[in-house]
Amino acid sequence: MRVANNTYTEQMLQQFNSLKASQYSLQQRASTGLRVQVASDDPTAMAETLALASKKTANTQWTQNIGTLTDRANQIYTVLQSLQSKVSRAGEVATAAATATASPSDLINHANEINAMIEDAVKLGNTKDSAVGNFLFGGTASGATPFSVTRNSAGDITAVTYDGNASVNQTEVGDGQTMSVDVPGVNTGSSGARGLFQDSQSGADFLNHLITLRDDLLAGNKTAVATDNTNFKGDENNLAYQIANNGVVQNRLKTAEAFLSDHSAALDKAITSQSGADLADTIVALSEAQNGYQAALQSSVKVMQLSILNYIS
Amino acid sequence: MDMAKRSMQTQMAGMQVTGQNIANVNTPGYSRQRAVITESLPTNTTLGQIGSGTQVNRIEQIVSDLLNGQIQSNGSSLGFQQGRQSALQSMQDALGEILTNGANGTNSSGLSSQLSDLFSAFQAVATSPNSTSARQALIGAAQTVATSFNQINGKFSDLKTALNTSLGNDVKSANDLLTSIADLNKEIYDAEVSGGTANNLRDQREQALENLSKLVGFTASKDSSGYVNVSIGGQALVTGRQLNDTLKTYDAGGGQMLVQTATGGVNVTLTGGSMQGTIDARDNDLATMQTKLDSLASNLISAVNTVHGSGFSPGGTTGTNFFSGTSAGTITVNSALANNPSLIQTSGSATASGDNSVALQLAQLGSAAQAGLGSQTFGDYFGAAVTSLGTALSDANTRVENEKAVSNLLTNQRGAVSGVNLDEEMSNLITFQRSYTASAELLKTIDEMIQTTLGMKR
Repeated sequence: MRVANNTYTEQMLQQFNSLKASQYSLQQRASTGLRVQVASDDPTAMAETLALASKKTANTQWTQNIGTLTDRANQIYTVLQSLQSKVSRAGEVATAAATATASPSDLINHANEINAMIEDAVKLGNTKDSAVGNFLFGGTASGATPFSVTRNSAGDITAVTYDGNASVNQTEVGDGQTMSVDVPGVNTGSSGARGLFQDSQSGADFLNHLITLRDDLLAGNKTAVATDNTNFKGDENNLAYQIANNGVVQNRLKTAEAFLSDHSAALDKAITSQSGADLADTIVALSEAQNGYQAALQSSVKVMQLSILNYIS
Repeated sequence: MDMAKRSMQTQMAGMQVTGQNIANVNTPGYSRQRAVITESLPTNTTLGQIGSGTQVNRIEQIVSDLLNGQIQSNGSSLGFQQGRQSALQSMQDALGEILTNGANGTNSSGLSSQLSDLFSAFQAVATSPNSTSARQALIGAAQTVATSFNQINGKFSDLKTALNTSLGNDVKSANDLLTSIADLNKEIYDAEVSGGTANNLRDQREQALENLSKLVGFTASKDSSGYVNVSIGGQALVTGRQLNDTLKTYDAGGGQMLVQTATGGVNVTLTGGSMQGTIDARDNDLATMQTKLDSLASNLISAVNTVHGSGFSPGGTTGTNFFSGTSAGTITVNSALANNPSLIQTSGSATASGDNSVALQLAQLGSAAQAGLGSQTFGDYFGAAVTSLGTALSDANTRVENEKAVSNLLTNQRGAVSGVNLDEEMSNLITFQRSYTASAELLKTIDEMIQTTLGMKR
């Protein structure tokens, strides 16, 4: 084949450009760790990567949701523990006061203790989420203080009104999977989450039971006090249920979090598989491209140096 | 002596042609020339015919019309693909979907991840409906999405304008080339009418045709006078030495600039070249992407507003839209909500300000199939649009590489026929030089013989 002189130079330039483009592409892969950066690099891999990245973003948010719910569940658990000790103590007080040896002054002292317990219990019922600031036991009507009180002339609480509702929020912790850690303060209905202080399903009505006990202690009515003691069984059972349920919920949150963690790791692996660059392969390919470029330069210079002009004197 | 003189003149002419070839070794479009040397007419004698030496019959150009035609045809295909590739590349840049490796792994920097972030922000509000910071973060995420829609839409509009400008520039270049071809037809005819071949002018005309082929597909035919007639889209624009008409762009409606003849006003259907590549990318790929972007934005606006409008803010307000606007170019976050995030309607009840049921529905829109988007989620629909564009660009890249490979092949083949090879020219130079020397020696010998003859008188 006849080869024109400018065919040499044009072909060499094209080869140089092609080899340089190849080196540039490989260097980009090595420096970014990505085989695919834009859709035209590999449209299918890009589509997969975008879908996987979207799932990972959702996973991250679900993990954050779990963190928020876990914090709230821990705060609720702290309140539950405190209430449980109060229920136990209220039962102990009722038992002690109902004995024949209990003197009228003993009953007054017990009444004062129960009175203080009522104040504490109402405060616990109005506990706010330390992170968000809303009330923990107001249901979804978290705008107003859940428990408001009526006091007598002596300043003692005579009645407690619940201003919240019996609803609880569901929160997504996975794809189509929702959970709730919330506990309404009161649920007088026959369904839904059990109320913490008053619940028709379990017969619990802790605040009113405390008020009744205090009033019976103040009245010196030991028979009534003995009856009051049995009322606390329902409160005890309800709190035991709430504590157990809190534990179950926290356990489910941990399970969901562990699943999301594993899933995120799997998603990372899948994303890397779709769009990541194999560094070993990339470096080898880059080295090959560099060698090719060097060979092209050397051979081109040698070929261009030779012509018949070198031999004409 | 006359024979020796003619031989020296012939070798000199050969050297001149060789010199011309050497001088134009790097001239684009130059076709090598060759002095066609023939034996001059013999003289009849009683002894028979005696040769009278040599003469240059003509200077011929070594060209292949077949290859030139193929190169023009390939030029149109390459121009079309390059025009389309350039537009598609700009579209991909405008979308801004670039994968990066960050602290949280690989993610995209464009609308895809921003849509995911928006629905995550709805999730965060659903988890803590009374959290002011979660509501503010949601407004921020929504504004980012709206701004991205606006920016991409703006870039697409700018790209459409740029493509129209590019088309106008190509039309102007094509008109200049058509004018050149008509002028060269005239010059070539005038130069050749008295005999000979206007090789250099023919090279220039060939170069003009090749350049025109990159801009637009055309039909070229040579007539008996040696004129090259050029038709584009069935319109005879150059006939002989006459430039019948030129091209111009016109607005076919809605800023869709197309091409018609400048004087005749006849719409021209282009068949190749960068002009058609630009029109094709603008009217198909860009228009489709624009439609998809608008569809995505309008469905997002509609879906979010429908759910949000049914909810209640902590203050009890209801029926407010979350997004304003109807398309990618007009979408914004409702300014009332942006100024006061507590107006975001997250509750399903007017009396339960802490209820999150509407916020949860909004968050779940992210994974819900949308009837208006072909039963795809927002993210999947946009991902498919990005993939579709990526596939088109990848395909265009491959086609450009293929057309370039064909172009290289044809150019090399033409180089093998018409290109200048310095080794060959130097060999020719030596050959002519030796022949010239030999002819001079012949002349010198004859001169010496004459001197000898004249010396016999003394």
